[in-house]
Amino acid sequence: MKQIAQRIIPFIALTVAACGGGGDGSQRAVIQNRGSDTLLNVAQAWAEAYAAVNAKVAVAVTGGGSGTGISAMINGTVDIANSSRKMRESEIELARENGVEPVEFVVGYDALAVYVHEDNPIESLTLAQLKGIYGEGGTITQWAELGVSVPGCHSDEIVLVSRQNNSGTYVYFKETVLGDDAEYKLGSRDMHGSKDVVDLVENTPCAIGYSGLAYATEHVRMPCVTVEEGGNCVEPSVATAVSGSYPIARPLFMYTAGRPQGAVKSYMDWILSTDGQCVILERGYAPYTETECA
Amino acid sequence: MFAATRLNRRSYRNQSVARAVFCLMTVALVIPVLLIVGTLVVKGGPAISWEFLFTPPRDNMTAGGILPALVGTVWLVVVALLASVPLGIAAALYLSEYAPDNLLTRTINLAIINLAGVPSIVHALFGVGAFVLFFRFGASILAASLTLAIMTLPVVIVATRESLQAVPQAFREACLNMGATRWQTIRKVVLPNSVSGILTGVILEVSRTAGETAPIMFTGATAFVAFLPESVFDQTMAMSYHLYYTATQATDVPEELTFGVALVLIGMVLLMNAVSIGFRVYLRGLKKW
Repeated sequence: MKQIAQRIIPFIALTVAACGGGGDGSQRAVIQNRGSDTLLNVAQAWAEAYAAVNAKVAVAVTGGGSGTGISAMINGTVDIANSSRKMRESEIELARENGVEPVEFVVGYDALAVYVHEDNPIESLTLAQLKGIYGEGGTITQWAELGVSVPGCHSDEIVLVSRQNNSGTYVYFKETVLGDDAEYKLGSRDMHGSKDVVDLVENTPCAIGYSGLAYATEHVRMPCVTVEEGGNCVEPSVATAVSGSYPIARPLFMYTAGRPQGAVKSYMDWILSTDGQCVILERGYAPYTETECA
Repeated sequence: MFAATRLNRRSYRNQSVARAVFCLMTVALVIPVLLIVGTLVVKGGPAISWEFLFTPPRDNMTAGGILPALVGTVWLVVVALLASVPLGIAAALYLSEYAPDNLLTRTINLAIINLAGVPSIVHALFGVGAFVLFFRFGASILAASLTLAIMTLPVVIVATRESLQAVPQAFREACLNMGATRWQTIRKVVLPNSVSGILTGVILEVSRTAGETAPIMFTGATAFVAFLPESVFDQTMAMSYHLYYTATQATDVPEELTFGVALVLIGMVLLMNAVSIGFRVYLRGLKKW
């Protein structure tokens, strides 16, 4: 048995040493960042870029959804929670009971574009028309009712593409376009991901869908959206999301546990600086304020 | 004289058919394995290079390598082994060598079997409640590894107990007859003769630990961190979670990169297994019967 132990122990020691060898004894601050899947790709890009800015700070990014981030904030296990929705009053109360005071930062905007097939000639849509197309009890079911005829769409029937009902995008579109109490029309194709919506619309001449602007491709068109009949028609773009003129753009939040200090403060300051905001722009989302990038 | 009757011929024919069917089923078992490995090698093979293995990801996961995930998985596996192997072997020793067959022992045995049947997502949530929140380890390698250790503990216990019981009773009696105590018997006779079986349990545990995603998702694995872990209280990337992330969450990831991650994960498990199996064969050579 002793012989065996003598053989095993160096093997274990070697393995541990090989893995722990990287440490040079420097004190590194770790920032725990968890939450929204919408923000995940941006948060990852930030963490990657920040490693080059400050090598003494390691940002650990994890997804799971806005709810995951918020409950981790309530339990006090994260430094920064990502969320694509505002924290509810009740959630903030819970956090306070645990001695955590969440502080809100708007770090960018996500414009929800309405997507149609590239052959679809429609130029503009009003919010009322969108409600008629998507809302329960809405009467618009044919493209002819919107004054267009779509080449390749022989039935002329509007094919609705939507999202699964636990998606933040689904909830936001419902609240903003359909109204608080309204429901979606039945019979839509509910996709499990922002990218899937655009993929389906790309291949279906009759289809209409909604998804984040970041997922736009060259093979779909995005009609401009008018708030009221006869009003200004606004193109979905980063610029119109920043200025607030595009009606279906939602803020993206980061919550810190208490007023940020030390490494967390430097990180948040960097995210809200021009450098940080150019990263979110590059990922196809809108900066929280007008930003000039190279 | 013996001549085959119709009955004989029919039985013989039935037997051939049965053999063919069972042979076909056995081959069918191998097909998925070959398909999986084949697909991974063909689609992920081009991605594999020294750079892929030894650099961190770049450009929002669309380029670069997998070093932090690779190192993270090794950390998770080693820490999980350090926790579960001593505990599992000690428990198996007690159950096999010392424990009387009474209600308590039977209850413990039942608990071990049940522990093995608990779904990994339940272990994950247990890990969050116990290690992350209650013991205040936070999301860390320690919390993730302990969760994995608890999940794989039954494998170690069962494998160890089986191999202890495979040591002939006569060996123990011979030793005890020489005046040795029970502990001396275990240390000098039982353990050396069962170590190859115990290692089999450890092999199985390593494979399972490296591949699991659910138990580490909430307890310590992270989608991205630019640095290698320095202590058990750091969060880390891991191969299984990295595969999930690149396949479903990140945009514009080249397909070969995702397949490359899967290929390395499978390769890693196979390599760990091969090392342990080699070690086991060597130890079995030292066996006295």
